[in-house]
Amino acid sequence: MAGDQDRDDVRSVLAGDLGAFEGIVRRWQVPLVNLAYRFCGDRGRAEDMAQEAFLRAYRALGRWRGDAAFSTWLFALAGNLYRSELRRIPPRAIALDDLPEPTEPRSADPPLERDDRDRAVRRSVQALPAKYREAMILFYFHGMDVAAAARSLEVPEGTVKARLSRGRDILRRRLLPVFAAPEPKEAR
Amino acid sequence: MNDDDIDRILSAQDEILPSSGFAASVMEAVRRDAATPPPIPFPWARAWPVVAAGALALAGIPWVVIEAIRQSARSPGFGAISPDRVEPYLRAATDAGAHWLALAAALTLISVLASRRLAGRSV
Repeated sequence: MAGDQDRDDVRSVLAGDLGAFEGIVRRWQVPLVNLAYRFCGDRGRAEDMAQEAFLRAYRALGRWRGDAAFSTWLFALAGNLYRSELRRIPPRAIALDDLPEPTEPRSADPPLERDDRDRAVRRSVQALPAKYREAMILFYFHGMDVAAAARSLEVPEGTVKARLSRGRDILRRRLLPVFAAPEPKEAR
Repeated sequence: MNDDDIDRILSAQDEILPSSGFAASVMEAVRRDAATPPPIPFPWARAWPVVAAGALALAGIPWVVIEAIRQSARSPGFGAISPDRVEPYLRAATDAGAHWLALAAALTLISVLASRRLAGRSV
């Protein structure tokens, strides 16, 4: 459905109807801004990066051959742009001190505590070294499987698996002091 | 915290919404881009003769050097560096202002390296 709309809009844009590109922007703005946000963790910068991705997609529209889904092509283009942008200007490093302090293990409000912890874990992904961060963002936040992430990163699947494993190890090690006190129910 | 915990936490998305003017801002940028005339292509047709001549000149340098060495090897006293033999080259270099050229090249190199370093720090 969205694929057909994309195809029609691309045809219209290439035929000279610039307004048809707005359909593409409205359809894909949320996922593209979110993907950028996973990479940089800054809302304003995420919108700037997503805008640049749309602009590049517009310029390169004629190169989409239609053999892959438009969304695949668009996300590959955006992913490459985001990665090179973050290599150029790395995101502000998040220190462990910025993570929320854990509340008492037997907190009166466990769901809130869990929310804090989960948010801290997601934010701490941005503090990982670039190669682990990129693999984890594509796999977890963007829902790609290992094969798709490997294609996007242009590395073998084994490398992606190794980077995911290493990224998880680093996260666990870094977050251990912060979340040393586990919730009683989840302690293993 | 084990791998399953990390998998579960990271797989749970908290989505953000673009600001209300985002789509309009993108379309404005796209319209501006579409209105910009395409860049003037490099005039390869006119540049080819110059490029070809330069390539030929570069390719000729090894031949000239080899010929010069061959000529010197035939002359008596080959291999000995005497002040008498070096002096004409030094004089020619001084007359051509080689020291100023070397100084200018060094200053240019230093300023390029310094500006790249400063620019790299500022971004």
